[in-house]
Amino acid sequence: MSLKPFNKLPELNTANVLLVENEERFQKKLADAIVLLENNVNVIVRLARSLPLPLENAESRPRIDLVVFIVHLNSEQSLLSAETSLKHLDSGYFLGKVCFLVTGARCGTLPYERLTSLKKMAATLNSPLLMTEDKTAEGVNTAAQRVLAVLRVAAGLVPMATGLYLSSLTRCTVPNDPDWQNQD
Amino acid sequence: MEARVSAITTPRNETAPHRRTKSYGFSRRSLGVELTSHFGCTPGQLTAVRIPTSRGIPKPRNLTEQVDPEHVALIVKKEWKLSYVTPLYQFRHTQLQSYSKQLASFLVAEKQQGVAVEVGQELGFKVVFTAALGLAETEDDAETVLIQIQSKSAFAAEGETAKVVWSGWLSCVSGDVEYLKALPPDFTCLPLFGTSGAESLTTLVMSWFERTFDCYFGPLGINSTNLEWLAALWTGCHSDTNIRYLKLAWTVPAQPPLDVSYTVHPQDAWELWDSIRQESGLRDTVDIEEVNCFIRGLESHFFRHFRIYLSAGTLTKVATSLGSAHKDGKIRIASSDMMTSVLALLTECALLKMPI
Repeated sequence: MSLKPFNKLPELNTANVLLVENEERFQKKLADAIVLLENNVNVIVRLARSLPLPLENAESRPRIDLVVFIVHLNSEQSLLSAETSLKHLDSGYFLGKVCFLVTGARCGTLPYERLTSLKKMAATLNSPLLMTEDKTAEGVNTAAQRVLAVLRVAAGLVPMATGLYLSSLTRCTVPNDPDWQNQD
Repeated sequence: MEARVSAITTPRNETAPHRRTKSYGFSRRSLGVELTSHFGCTPGQLTAVRIPTSRGIPKPRNLTEQVDPEHVALIVKKEWKLSYVTPLYQFRHTQLQSYSKQLASFLVAEKQQGVAVEVGQELGFKVVFTAALGLAETEDDAETVLIQIQSKSAFAAEGETAKVVWSGWLSCVSGDVEYLKALPPDFTCLPLFGTSGAESLTTLVMSWFERTFDCYFGPLGINSTNLEWLAALWTGCHSDTNIRYLKLAWTVPAQPPLDVSYTVHPQDAWELWDSIRQESGLRDTVDIEEVNCFIRGLESHFFRHFRIYLSAGTLTKVATSLGSAHKDGKIRIASSDMMTSVLALLTECALLKMPI
């Protein structure tokens, strides 16, 4: 069963975010940072290794406003796992309720192909791609701020803005790529 | 009115001397217009680079006919630490003799720095620069240069041959033609630098090159995609020359960290590679998808036995009897037949590091 964005009613003054990461290295730190940063709104962070989510507590699970896929560029498995998880999301999520978080993009010894294929994936899904640093506290904090900014909009807490509107401005594009233009 | 006219003509006069730099910039930009390539960003610098998605089938090339066998023997069988070098300014292949003298005196001067009285046997260095003619594949490639440093002992007996303490080479094999053509005329592009010997001598040689030819050295790692290319390249040679084994090493980030060494029987590896090649039709090129498929096949076989996802880790080493390559930029080429193919791949890695 795929996760649906609109089959449950939202709760008052609450934002739910789901962090999906196969390695479980970064999500805990990021979750703590997100919760500490936000004071006005009740932010609930849920963690998962991959989708689909288990059926047992599907009923009690609140509506999830934003799904964040964390991809580490230093392992192929991380990318493959995110790719398979994506299939279990309802298409409604791709109207501004999905974002990708990448770590390790600065490392010079990693294959460039991984970042390129991830960029293509994010671009086809009209989703934003955030580059983050997971090694330093400062980097985690910045990542948390960015995710939170997207989350507030996706959860409908910002007047006059919707997730779809934001993602049409921030979605990942692959410019100057002839292969990409041909697919269009 | 007059003021306006002069305001138009002034920039026109100014643009004339800039024309060369303009055309230079344009040709660089045209790098990406080719349809078979795609863009990526080199981390740390905002340059668009070209990553090939398919290559020609490597053909074994008998080097001994074109290249002096002695030169080939110097490169083969040693383990080399790789670096990349930006293009050398005013490097001349005709001046190798004088470079030998300059480098030797530079080394002696550096070694004597801060030493009041010379003690020990390392009295002098003899440096030999040689051009290994014939290694270049296209006419734009600069010829490979071999460097050897021999230490002269003060108390050496007559006729005793000097000991080689350090060796290295600068090479360019099948470099990207558009890049090489776009270089200004005074530059020689030999982007690949292999060294073997004491680390202290390597740094001295590098600093001499940096001062003399206004270039810059940096470490050249071989990323997992390129290691996968090498694994496929060597496996594909099994029908011609027996590769004896295919060894792959992974590091899996687990608690505690797991080092996996995976040895495949050459016939099995070749059959897997051959079936992938047959499936995608017999063409003259190898695609990255086929290479990926080959490695994924090996990984899934491993998973069936040990329940470990190798793709969660990083590929660190590839070895066959034809050669070995390590992620940190160490390479050993054991067979001269495949030397040009391997050097071409490494040249390409080095060219991706060039500032554009």
